[in-house]
Amino acid sequence: MWQYEKTLQYPVNIKNPDPALARVIISQLGGPDGEIGAATRYLSQRYAAPCREVQAILTDIATEELGHVEMISAILYQLTRGLSIDEIKKSGFDTYFVDHTTGIYPQAASGVPFSADTLQSTGDPLADLHEDLAAEQKARLSYDNILRLVDDPDVRDPIKFLREREIVHYQRFGEGLRKVQDMLDSKNFYAFNPAFDKPAKRR
Amino acid sequence: MADNEKLKLLQRLQAVRFAVHDAALYLDSHPTCQEGLKYFREKRELCEKLTEQYEEAYGPLTAHASSAEERWDWVCTPFPWERGES
Repeated sequence: MWQYEKTLQYPVNIKNPDPALARVIISQLGGPDGEIGAATRYLSQRYAAPCREVQAILTDIATEELGHVEMISAILYQLTRGLSIDEIKKSGFDTYFVDHTTGIYPQAASGVPFSADTLQSTGDPLADLHEDLAAEQKARLSYDNILRLVDDPDVRDPIKFLREREIVHYQRFGEGLRKVQDMLDSKNFYAFNPAFDKPAKRR
Repeated sequence: MADNEKLKLLQRLQAVRFAVHDAALYLDSHPTCQEGLKYFREKRELCEKLTEQYEEAYGPLTAHASSAEERWDWVCTPFPWERGES
């Protein structure tokens, strides 16, 4: 069960609209390494996690990712407020505008809508945790690429916060992977699917 | 209303909520770390205090914390994507 909190995880206060920038940052909403994919991935994978620690890590990081969905959406909303038709045409925002006006729609910067094709839930906690580590790295480098494209400090500030969180999550997933490995035969961690072939001992 | 004070309190609250969240995440993988547990308890206590203070002055942060006497408070305060609120 979840309960909504009426505050962003980190403040977003953007003074100057910039629709061209919104077209880029939208990838972190619905793109291949975006926040909706992250939340969906971890929420789906929790059930195959063999111990309470990893169940907790997946649940709590997924919950934080939902907060990041809201932060990215707030950035997009503030970057596209009060636009004139001229600004929409000149900035190249018109191809988004035609379908969505200035509504928030989960898609990649390329225009491809969000898809669960970008994530897996394998039922194997080792495979899943390796995917999660890679996912955090990919999100971190996407934020690095966004920071290379953005000058406005109002936008850079929350993006830098989100980038830092990917690093913390990578650390936590690494600890989760170690925990799962500790429950297995150290001579061959990867011989089994510990959630299916060889029930792990409950802790 | 002193908007500046509201913003200041909200920023303190956001910072301490973040500390509580990050400590909780750390404790998921270090559930017996005494230093971590102590840090979490301290931040949680401060968070509860500031939340109460904020909600008392500026309205509910969760639907369930809304006043339900005269009218439904939840719809009287802005959602956080509006600039200046968050």
